[in-house]
Amino acid sequence: MTDEALARLQFATTAGFHWLFVMLTLGLAPLIAVMHTRHALGGAPLMERMTRFWGQIYVVNYVLGIVTGLVMEFQFGLAWSGLADYAGNVFGAPLALETIVAFFAESTFLGMWIFGWGKLPKAVHVTLIWLVTLTAYASAYWIMVANGFLQHPVGHEVRGGVARLVDFGAMLTNPNAINALVHAATAALMTGGVFVAGVSSYHFLKRTAEREFFRASLRLGLFVAAPAASVALYYGFVQIPTLVDTQPMKAATLQGHVDDIGSLRVEDVQAQLVQRFGAGDYRPPSWIATAFDVMQDTGYLIFLLVVVALVLLHRDRYLRFRPAAYLMLVAIPLPFVAAFGGWLLREVGRQPWLVYGELTTAAARSPVGSMTASLVLFCGVFLALAVADWALIARYARRGPADTDLGGSPSDGQADRPAASLAL
Amino acid sequence: MTLGPAWPALLGLLLAGYFVLAGLDYGVQMLTPRFGRDDRERRALLNAFGPFFLGNEVWLVVAAGVLFGAFPFLEGRLLPGMYFLFAAILAAIAVGNAAVQLRGHHRGASARRLWDGLIFLGGLVPAAGWGLVTGRLLAGVPLDARNAFSLGPADLVHPFVLLCSATTTAVFVAHGASFLAWRTGGEPGARAARAGRRALLVAAVAAAAVIVAGFLSSARHALVNAWPALVAGVALVVVLLVAAALLRAGHPGRAFCATSCAAALPVVALGAGLHPFALVSSSAPGTGLRLAETMAEAGTLRILAGFAVVLVPLLVISQAWNWWLFRDRAGRTPMHL
Repeated sequence: MTDEALARLQFATTAGFHWLFVMLTLGLAPLIAVMHTRHALGGAPLMERMTRFWGQIYVVNYVLGIVTGLVMEFQFGLAWSGLADYAGNVFGAPLALETIVAFFAESTFLGMWIFGWGKLPKAVHVTLIWLVTLTAYASAYWIMVANGFLQHPVGHEVRGGVARLVDFGAMLTNPNAINALVHAATAALMTGGVFVAGVSSYHFLKRTAEREFFRASLRLGLFVAAPAASVALYYGFVQIPTLVDTQPMKAATLQGHVDDIGSLRVEDVQAQLVQRFGAGDYRPPSWIATAFDVMQDTGYLIFLLVVVALVLLHRDRYLRFRPAAYLMLVAIPLPFVAAFGGWLLREVGRQPWLVYGELTTAAARSPVGSMTASLVLFCGVFLALAVADWALIARYARRGPADTDLGGSPSDGQADRPAASLAL
Repeated sequence: MTLGPAWPALLGLLLAGYFVLAGLDYGVQMLTPRFGRDDRERRALLNAFGPFFLGNEVWLVVAAGVLFGAFPFLEGRLLPGMYFLFAAILAAIAVGNAAVQLRGHHRGASARRLWDGLIFLGGLVPAAGWGLVTGRLLAGVPLDARNAFSLGPADLVHPFVLLCSATTTAVFVAHGASFLAWRTGGEPGARAARAGRRALLVAAVAAAAVIVAGFLSSARHALVNAWPALVAGVALVVVLLVAAALLRAGHPGRAFCATSCAAALPVVALGAGLHPFALVSSSAPGTGLRLAETMAEAGTLRILAGFAVVLVPLLVISQAWNWWLFRDRAGRTPMHL
């Protein structure tokens, strides 16, 4: 593998692991905020137990989101210093704002929410989870603004080989950022909804004692997942015309896989791009069309499943019809598969560009030699931590609300002892 | 309103915040596995910083954000230049951060021992690593004509750089110990105070050795402002000794304030020692990459300033609120770690 391929793989691994966890974070946070609010307003004990159970899974999932996010923050500077040299005046701003506006506050408030059980007034405690949710989505917005600039650079001019910011508003409203944000955010909501519905289905299949608990969870999950899935599908298609306008090569590669791209052909676009940018191969790998198919077909499948499940909710047929529960359980990984296809299409489909039409990935790579060692290091660390994290999530999900630690007693079964030997 | 001179100050503030807050995490992480006598004690030690842990670590994220947003042309030199050092620090932070949060979810003793090892490693590597970064920046880096550089292992095996690393490690251990002495009472608190005093003396000796090595080695020629850096170094030694005296006198809260100053002083030394440069050349004394050259242009800074003026105070307030809410000594707040 070339050094550039290693650097790209390292970035893809970091971003990929990050999104696997962030997607569920974004999907679960609003659901938990709703549960917590209903508990605070009505005082329903069921809602409190739901908040704790799903909140526990959310918190364990968040661990990997934050550690991969921390490494992610540095990847641009470590491996792609050409990006800072060329677009530092422009691209750094949304990244900086993401940390100031969102990441910092999200973590601070989440720490307070986790430790605030039984300590903070209800109103304050509920406000914290809403702040966590709000800042999580604000984070997604700024990241998509940054990513949108790489896809379709707007709001800047190039003087002396360096990009300068001239129209911040254009950058903030970049259609390539906004439409993709709505697509990704609703896909994340769908992920959260399907996850909650799938875990609930597991408990129906196992006939655990928590029928009411998981019935309420299932309903909430499906009520969120169904509209979210339809918006995600719709905003998938909304992006096609933008793609044709701004990234004709990516669109041409999808010829035959999607409508609305007219008569674009890879060879023609290649000839145009050679004319515009000089000799070179401007074609992304053709397998991104397969990635597109995987995303689209999986998306349809999820939508179908969720809608059928929603219909079966009527008179609780869902709870008696075991095949539905089986399907929903198996569906838990599907949104992640779809997202993986989608990101491969979006990022690999931009090749050979880092900033579309302006800076190639080859030109942007840091002069640091081979990245084999760091790639192995980061891959090993992320994989091991992810497996440990998923095992914990699966355990909490399987054991059900009776075995939840969040907001309750310590997990070593010593609840009757004083909370800490170090107390005054 | 570009707040030109304010940006280096903001970056310094965020880095200092990171050193003080995450420094106490790293210190506690290094102390926990051996200092906690049984599993319950180790859990209690971790929960002493529990409510603040997530908030402490993100100071690094926001410092990196400001570095990329306001100093993009420094970021593009610094990070690739110290590529493998930063990669090791980041991987260790990721491991340590996850280990602290996941440990308590495992019931088995062997699983918890494994996490304990990773918690220790996740404290030691960043603590030592940031010392290497600080030392190397002070002693200069091998800049080429384009003001780029690439460090090899040999650049880190330098007495001054290694002593800086030993100093930050000892300072963070002492900082963590004084935090524990302050947050926990009773016999373990007294034990933490004793461990803190020992670590403070080691740190003071190491810091004094850094000053001596700075005068004897090549670092002296690279440093642009030798006197301000020396003042920062002497202040570090004094603050460490004061903290040890305060711990001895039974004032762990005040000692923690003193070790907080000590944890922030490496950042002060960097700013004072290198001004007006961001990177100085180790081979051609008195030259380097000026901080002003590394900043984004005025238009970008103006936009960032608009956000920062409103939001940075809010961030500080949110964390102050967090500390206020959980100001009770450990043991009175729930245990989640």
